[in-house]
This record gives sequence, C-alpha cells and structure tokens, in this order.
Amino acid sequence: MVFSGIPFLFYFFPAVLILYFLVPKICKNGVLLLTSLVFYSWGGPSYLILMLISITAGYTSGLLLEKFDHRQPLRRVVMWAVAIIDLGFLAYFKYADFFIENFNVVTGLSIPLLRLLLPIGISFYTFQILSYTIDVYRRDVPAQRNPIDLAAYVTMFPQLIAGPIVRYSDIAVQLKSRTHTFQKTSDGIRRLIVGLSKKVLIADTFGKLIVAFRDSNEPSVLFYWIYAIAFSLQIYFDFSGYSDMAIGLGKILGFEFLENFNYPFISKSVTEFWRRWHMSLGSWFRDYVYIPLGGNRCNKPRWFFNILVVWMLTGFWHGAAWNFIFWGLMFAVLLVIEKLFLLKFMGQSRVFSRIYVLFFVLISFVIFNADGQSGYWSDIPALFGAGNLPLYSADALYYLKSFAVLFALALIGATPLPKKLYARIKSTRGGEIAVGIAEPLVLAVLLLTVVAFAVDSSFSPFLYFRF
Amino acid sequence: MKKIQPIVQTVVIGAIVLSLTLACWFHTPQAYSISERSELKQFPEWSSEAILSGKFMEEFEEYAADQFPMRDTFRAWKAFVAGKIFLQSDNNGVYEAFGHISETEYPESVDSFTHAKNTFDRIMANYLNDTNRVYLSIIPDKNAFMADESGHLSLDYDAFYQKWRDYCHETDVQYIDIVPLLELSDYYRTDTHWKQECIVDVAQTLAEAMGTTIPDDYVTHISDTPFYGVYSGRYALPYDADTLCYLTNEAIDGMTASERLDLENSREMPIYDLEKLQGPDPYETYLSGPLSLITVENPNASSDKNLIVFRDSFGSSVSPLLAQGYKSVTLVDIRYLSSRNLDAFLDFEGSDVLFLYSTMVLNSCKDTFK
Repeated sequence: MVFSGIPFLFYFFPAVLILYFLVPKICKNGVLLLTSLVFYSWGGPSYLILMLISITAGYTSGLLLEKFDHRQPLRRVVMWAVAIIDLGFLAYFKYADFFIENFNVVTGLSIPLLRLLLPIGISFYTFQILSYTIDVYRRDVPAQRNPIDLAAYVTMFPQLIAGPIVRYSDIAVQLKSRTHTFQKTSDGIRRLIVGLSKKVLIADTFGKLIVAFRDSNEPSVLFYWIYAIAFSLQIYFDFSGYSDMAIGLGKILGFEFLENFNYPFISKSVTEFWRRWHMSLGSWFRDYVYIPLGGNRCNKPRWFFNILVVWMLTGFWHGAAWNFIFWGLMFAVLLVIEKLFLLKFMGQSRVFSRIYVLFFVLISFVIFNADGQSGYWSDIPALFGAGNLPLYSADALYYLKSFAVLFALALIGATPLPKKLYARIKSTRGGEIAVGIAEPLVLAVLLLTVVAFAVDSSFSPFLYFRF
Repeated sequence: MKKIQPIVQTVVIGAIVLSLTLACWFHTPQAYSISERSELKQFPEWSSEAILSGKFMEEFEEYAADQFPMRDTFRAWKAFVAGKIFLQSDNNGVYEAFGHISETEYPESVDSFTHAKNTFDRIMANYLNDTNRVYLSIIPDKNAFMADESGHLSLDYDAFYQKWRDYCHETDVQYIDIVPLLELSDYYRTDTHWKQECIVDVAQTLAEAMGTTIPDDYVTHISDTPFYGVYSGRYALPYDADTLCYLTNEAIDGMTASERLDLENSREMPIYDLEKLQGPDPYETYLSGPLSLITVENPNASSDKNLIVFRDSFGSSVSPLLAQGYKSVTLVDIRYLSSRNLDAFLDFEGSDVLFLYSTMVLNSCKDTFK
C-alpha cells in the first residue's frame, strides 16, 4: 500500500485515525502495532513472520543485554547473535542472488538463482532493530520491556517501508507518552500534503518523462541530460516526499521524527550533500559502522579505508547490483579527494562548488538508475556525445518544452526559497493573517489535485520500496 | 490567528478527507465508464487464497481507483492541471489542436513493421495464387495532419509510407495511395476514425485501382445522437460532440451482411446497426463494430468479383461503399482471428485482396496481429 494511493488515503488511514483516537491512551501503541501489521501485510502477508522473528530477536536481546549487565562477553554474544540473525535475513533475501550470480561468473558454475521476492522494508526495519540492539548494548538506552511498544516502534507504518530510519533512542520517550494538539496535527497535515504533492505531482510526472526517454528511438545528448536531471529530481522528490509524508503522518499520530532531507541540491561539497541527503541512513552508517571502524581518529590510509568501506556498504544497501556499489564507491572517492585537498578550495567559489556537486550528483544518479552494467557504460558516455550522438533530437526538444514548467517548479522547490518566502510572509502581521487564510485553501487544492492524479494514473510505487 | 489557524486547517482538510472517505465507503459501484469506454473494476472476491497471495489487495487497489466518486470530475481536474498549469503538451499522450483531439503516435515501431510484413507475407504465401490480385493501402492517422504544425511528436509519415511502398514493390502488391485525398476535416474531431461522408473519393480511388467502379450519389443520414469519440473521454476536459452520419443508396439498401460465428454458423446483421448509436461507441454503427469476420453481400452487383479486405476499424465505414463494386466483400480482422487457418473460413480463389490499415494499427501490431 502506498501513501499516495486511494486505498491508503480513503480507506486505511481514516480507519486507523478513528481507531487510534477512540481507544484510551494505554491502547494506542497496540492499535498502532495492529494497523501497522495490516499495512505491512497488504501486498501479501507471507513475509510478516520474518519481520516478527526479527522483532522477537531484538526484544529478547534487549532484555538479555540488561540481564547480563556485568558479563561483557555474554553481552557481546547476544549483540552479535541479533546482528547475525537480522543481517542474515537481509543477506539471504536481498543479496543471495547477487552473490550466486557473481560466484557463477567467477567459477563458471551455474548454481541456480533463488529468485526470492524482496520483503518490503527489510533494509529499513533491519537497521532499526540493529540500532536498538546496539544502543542497548552500548547502554545508550534502556531495554524496552513492553513487547508491544518495541514492535510498534519497528513496525510503525509511517516509516516502515521506506524510512526515514527512525532510531529507537529518538522516540523511546514518545512511545511512552506523546501529545496530540491541533498545532501538531495541522503541521502534520501540511507536511503530509506537501509530501504527497512532491511524490504525485512532481516525481511521478517526471517518471513519465523517464519512460519516454527509455522508449525513445531518437537518442541525443540533450535528451540524455534531460533524463539525468529529470531522474535526479524524480528521486529527490520521490524520496523526500515520502519522508515528508512519514514525518507528517507521525505528527498526526503524535510522534516527532527527525528530518531526512535538507535541500541537498544546494550543497557546496559532496561532504555537505551527504549531510543533507537521506540523513537518517548517513547517520546510521556513521554511528554503527564508520565510528566503530575508527572513523577519522586514525592514520590517513586507515581513515580512507574506513570511508571506502562505509560508502561501499551504503551503495550496497541501496541494491544488490554492481551499479549501486560503484555509485557508493564514486562518492567514497569524491569524499576522499575533498578531505585530501578539495574542501580547502571549495569555499572560494560558491558557483563552482555548486556546479561541481550538481555535476557529480547527476552522474551518480545515472549510475544509480542504470539498467545493468551496459546501462552506465553507455549512458554516461552518451551524456558527452559518445557514439556520434546528435546534439539534440525532436523528442528531446518536445519533452523539454512539455516539462519546462515542471522543471522550473521542481528546481525552485528543491531549494529553500519557497520555505524562506513562506517564513518571510508569515513574519509580518498582515502576512500571518493572509497565510492563515490561504494555507488551508492551498492545501485543500493540493490534496484534491493529488487525488485527481492518483485517480487518473496507474499504480506507481515509490522508488525507495525496492530497498 | 496563531491559535485558530491550526484548528481551521485541521477542520478543513479533515472535512475533505472525511467526505471523500464516506463517499468511497458508501457510494454504489458503477459497472461501466461511458467516458472511458471501459468496464470498471468491481469489489474483489474474498478468499483466504486471494488474501494470502496478495491478489485481493491488488484488485482492491484497482477497484478503489476505478470506483472513486466523481471520477470523471477528478480526471478532468487532472487534465486541467497538466495542460493549463504544468503546460504539458499532452495528457497521457492525448492532445488538442486545430479543434481536434488526437493521440500521439510515436515512436515508430520497427518490430511492428516487421511483424506486419511477415504476417502479410504468410497470408500471401499460404492462401493466394496467380488468380488473386493483391492491394495495400495505408490510412494516415490524424497526427499526420496535426502533429507537425502543432509541435507534437509524430512518425515520419513520408518514410513510413515509403517503407510500405518498397514492400509492395518487392512483393508484387499494388500500393494504392489515398493520402492525398485526406485532410484533417475528414476525421471526427473527438475520435480516431474518418467520417464516412468524407471518404467517398477514397472509396472511389480504391475501387478504381482495383478495377471496379462505384457511384458517388448517396443519401446522407445524420444521427441525432451526439457522438463523443474515443478521445473525448481520454482527453477528460469538456469537448463538443461530433455528429455521426451514414450513407445509403439503392445499392447499399439492397446489401446484406453476416458475421461468421464459427465454421458452420453465421448470423445476419445490418449494414448500419442504428442501435449502436445509443451504445458506448457509436462508430460501431458501421457493420456492428469490431468483429473478426464479416461478409457483405451485394445481390445487385454488376460484377461477380469478390473482395477480401484485411482491415482494422477504419474498414467498417468504407466497406459498404466498396461493396457496391463487388458481389461480396469479406472483412477479416486478424487482431481477433488467427491468420494461420483462414482457409477454413474463406475461399480465396479468384478474389481481390486488399490490405487496408491505419498507420496506428500498423505501428502497434506486433502484439495484436495473430
């Protein structure tokens, strides 16, 4: 079930709200858990058991880690046992075929592929359970004694299948006690509708341009660049839209999730880009992989090795294919170069810095979206006219014209400009009144437009579902 | 204001969501969408198997979108936003220009060209011999007259026709060029098809090229029922209806038509099925619409020649005119009837054979020609 679909907006979520606000406070996490399980099982409940095993392992480990408080070796065993169970599931369901395929290539064998269906959200909930276990192991948070509360945290439908990766430590207090106010609900509604609009009106519409590009039999340099920019914008609006919806839904249910995006396309270095893009994943790898490996408090070769490992894993987390690994490694190389010398020069020209970041981010997303190795070996050279491609074609010009307004809206929307404008208008007395009147109307129109697009279009799943 | 605004916002959005939710939950499902000319999904059947496999949920998603209250209004709003706010050149491939709605036919499908050629080759090799004369003619779609000038993508029509001319040259098939006889006003504004009253010259050209003649005097009957063509529903925004006409004369009045149901049975049917004027697609008035095998008999024919037309829906409206020059015209639609066992139904001996297809069908036939 996708947040932007009719079943979620007008069947599931209203039913959840009715139940959630009808039951007494003590039962709210129970309602949240049950409805989240329904949400998760929507596409077929076959993998529900897998998630429940992971949750049970996480819950039991928390209790054991506290029980063995003074027996460090045992605590380590428990922590590693959970890590092996959770990462084992992830490796088996997500990566087994990748390893078999490559093993076959290297050895010349033909071991049959497993062709397993990827359990939805496994990359996200695995990382959440791991973060909980490691935090309890590190004594950063006390173990959760109420299994319903822990299960509600892991399965909470707003963030279950496409993030953000909510840390247990960030919402442990809210699981016990949270407030519901009109202000919070209203903020949540705004965030939800903005997220829906980003996903349905912008990302999905760019999706049609990507399809047209792939179907075209008139490739040109211009069309490749249009594709690269459109895909970069699509993935940003898709994923940040999803995060907005998750944060908005969380607010309506009384939670405060941390931000996941902070206008990454205005970054002046790749280092900064990754502080603004998928922040919950970046901080997860920083806290649970990079720092345990030694972080930057070691000699330079080791430091760079740590960066390489973290970014290879970041790429691999996104998908079991070489293009994702190359994608991660590309960022590792750029980050190392920046740390070696480039960052010193970045501050000298804001324009150059931004062009540099946007250029490599575009290239990275072409690699990210490549269909097999042949994809990026042909797509990236094509951006520079390889293969005697014409500079432009009739299709390219047509789609550029047809999507010009959307490009303009998306490019402006990817900067903090609208937010600044909103804040500036609201900062005056008259502006506050105007915003107070206009905002509900604008949101209503946006919501109805989203519904119109949803009714008109065919099913379009979120890009991040595959992770 | 700070205190009131969140309450107002919550109430306004809450009221919209609640209203639509109640409408979704309690509105009576429709069986058919007239504007989209399609059956609407019904509530899926419950079963443990359907739920466990995810089939129920998948079908429910389709049901929820199909049965959404005021679906047409929402689709119109979407079309408005896409066209007038995002200024997109088309909405789901459909666009409006010069007072017509059309669908982008692009890009050219090489696979379809190859598949069509192979299918025609097989038909000729399997069923035809020296007693048959074979013709091919291509009907341009509306984009040929609209796309370039309105800045929309389109096939390279000249190259497209030339490829088929070359094919005819290689295979000893006579190519009949009807393109110069057609212009945009010969087509319905809201539909893909040509108007029967505007293609008398086309029918005469085809007939002459095949060595027969047909008259040009007809009585034009104008239907009272507004004709909203296939594009008007897809365009989603309000658009004036077309008027559907049909032509008769003494020869056409004397014709009979029958649809072949199987090897032994057939059923009589009218040349113009006027009941179809009230149906979802009034263009089906001509020879009752998309049927796989139809024969039109002309007892008053001066010729004893028979014509077999391999055709798409454009053939329905031109065939009654062509039939005046033949003892019988048989219309074969190989999208619905396999071209591999046609001799079970048809006697090709001595017949003229015409392949008459629109560019749209020829450019998308790789999955449809059987």
